[in-house]
Amino acid sequence: MLKLSHVSAGYDGKNVLQDISFELPRGKSLSILGPNGCGKSTLLRAIAALIQSDGDITLDGQNIHAMKRRDIAPKIAVMSQITSIYFPYTVYETVMLGRYQHMKSSFFGMPTKKDRNAVEHCLKTTDIYDIRDKMIDTLSGGQLQRVFLAQTLAQEPELILLDEPTNHLDIRHQLELLSYLNQWSKNENHAVIGVFHDINLALKLSDSMMFLKDGMMQGMGNAKDLINAKFLDHIYGMDILGYMVDSFEQWKNFEECYA
Amino acid sequence: MIMNKKRLKFLLLACLCLTVLMIAAGVGSVQIGLADMIRIIGSKVFGTELPESLDPILVSILWKIRLPRALAAFIEGAALAVSGTVMQSVLRNPLASSYTLGVSAGASLGAALMIVTGVTIPLLGIFSLPLTGFLFGLATVFLVMAFSRRLDQNMQNNTIILVGMVISLFVNALLTLVTALSNEHLQQLVFWQMGSFSATDWSELAVITIVTLSCILLLMRYVQEMDIMTFGEEQALSAGVEIKKTKFILIAISALITGTAVAFTGIIGFVDLIAPHLARKIFGSSHRIVIPAAALSGGALMTLADLISRTILSPSELPVGAVTAIIGAPFFAYIYFMKRKKVV
Repeated sequence: MLKLSHVSAGYDGKNVLQDISFELPRGKSLSILGPNGCGKSTLLRAIAALIQSDGDITLDGQNIHAMKRRDIAPKIAVMSQITSIYFPYTVYETVMLGRYQHMKSSFFGMPTKKDRNAVEHCLKTTDIYDIRDKMIDTLSGGQLQRVFLAQTLAQEPELILLDEPTNHLDIRHQLELLSYLNQWSKNENHAVIGVFHDINLALKLSDSMMFLKDGMMQGMGNAKDLINAKFLDHIYGMDILGYMVDSFEQWKNFEECYA
Repeated sequence: MIMNKKRLKFLLLACLCLTVLMIAAGVGSVQIGLADMIRIIGSKVFGTELPESLDPILVSILWKIRLPRALAAFIEGAALAVSGTVMQSVLRNPLASSYTLGVSAGASLGAALMIVTGVTIPLLGIFSLPLTGFLFGLATVFLVMAFSRRLDQNMQNNTIILVGMVISLFVNALLTLVTALSNEHLQQLVFWQMGSFSATDWSELAVITIVTLSCILLLMRYVQEMDIMTFGEEQALSAGVEIKKTKFILIAISALITGTAVAFTGIIGFVDLIAPHLARKIFGSSHRIVIPAAALSGGALMTLADLISRTILSPSELPVGAVTAIIGAPFFAYIYFMKRKKVV
C-alpha cells in the first residue's frame, strides 16, 4: 500500500530525516518510536505530503507528490497533535469537517444522510456521542483528542497517521482506541501508522515497529525480533528493558497482594 | 433543536436589521413616520399613488437622501464585517481584519490617487474607483503577508498584526502626503478619509450592493474551507483543502469587498472587527451561518453608527469613522486582552 524509498525531509533546508525506506502492506499497523527530535513527526508529515521531501513516496503505486490534495485526502488522514483553538465549534460540527471531501459534491456542501450517519458512527466509536452539542473549547484534553480522532475517522481514509494519539487520554481510552485502530486496519484492510513514546502502547497498536534515531532508521520489524536490551540502550541511551522489567516485578507484587 | 434555535436567532437578527433601517430612514431633522415611509417606497418601487396630503419634500428627503444613505451604510457595514470574518478565519486570528492588515489603507491610497489625478479606466466608468481600491488593497495585504513570512516562517498572529500595523501606517503616511500636496482636492480628500455616507446616491449604492452580494454568494461556496482552515494549515491540507489557492481566493475576495466599500465611502474601521465577534458569540463558529450573520450584524452596527453620527450633534454631523472608532477601540482592547484562546 505505502512504499518509501530513500526519503529525506526537513525544514528550512536542513534535513531532519535521512534515507528512510520501508513498505507497509494493507491490513497492517506500524508504530514509530525514538527519542525526542529524532524525526518521528517529520516522517508522518512527509508521508502525508504536508512537507516537501526527497526520494519516492508511493501510495498504491502513485507518487504522493504528484497527487492533488483532494486525491490524497480520501486515502490518507492525519491526526495531528492538538494546537490552539481560536474559534470554537461544537463537537458535532468539528467531526463533520472530516467529511469535507465527501460533502463537496453535494448541494452547496450540505451534509447528506450518509454524512450524518458516518459522523454519528464516529461519535459513538470514540465515546463522545453524549457531548456532541458541547463547544470544543470547553472540553478536557482527552475529550478533545477523541474529537479529533473522530474527525479523522469521519474522513474514511485508507491510511491513518497518528502523532502521539493517546497523550491526553486516560488508560481506558488509550487501550480502547488502540485496540479499535488495530481491528480497523485488519477488518477494513486499511493501515495505521502511529508515533509513540510509550513502547507498551506501541505494542498494543502494531504488528511492527520502527525505531528512529538522529533522523535515521535504526531498525524495523516485529517487536519480538527487534527489541532487546542492547538495542533499546542504543536508541535511548539507557537500560529501558531493565526499567520495564522492574515495573513488571512491581505489578506482580500488586497482583500477589490482590490475590 | 440547535438548528431551530439558530434559525430563530437569525430571524430575530433580520427583524432587528429591518427595524434599524426603518429608524435610520425615519429619524432626522424631519421625522418620517412608518406609514408615510411605506407609502413613499410603494410609490417609487411599485408605482402606487401617493396621497395628496403627503409633503413632496418628505418624498425627496426619504428617497433621495435618507434611504440611499441608510442602505449604503448597511451594505458597507455588511461588506466590512464579511471581509473581517474571512480575514480572521484565513489567518486564524480573532484580531485580523482588513483594517489591521492594511487593505483599507491601501484601498484609500488607490482611491485618493484616482481622485487627485482624475484618471478613470476606459470602459469601466463608475467601476474605476472600486477596481483601483481593490487592486491597491490586495497589493497591500500581500505585502503584509510577504513581510510577515520573511520575518517569521511560522506566520505567528502577533507578527502579522505588527507588520500589518507598520505597513498600514506607512501607506497612511503616503496618503497624507498625497492629501497635503493636493491643494485643489485637500478638503474633499480630508472629508472622504473621515468616512461618510452623506454623498451616496443610488448608482453608487448599486455598485456597492452588486459587488458585496456577489462576493458574499461566492464566499458561501468556501464556508467549509474556512471552517477547516481555522484549525490550522496542516489540518486543512490533510482534509483535502488546496490551501494556497483557497487562501489567495479568499484574501482576494476580502480585498475586493473592502476596496470597493472604502473607495466610495472612505475608511471606517472596527465594524469588521466587532461584527464577526458578535456573530460568532451568538451563532457559534460555523461559517455557513457566521458569514450571513456577520453581514447582518455589521450592517445594523454601521447603520446605527451613521444614525448617531448625523443626529447626536445635529445639525452638525460627525464623521462615522469616529463613531465606530469610539465604540471599536475599547472593544479591540477587550479582545486583545481577553481573547478566548484555549491552549491545551
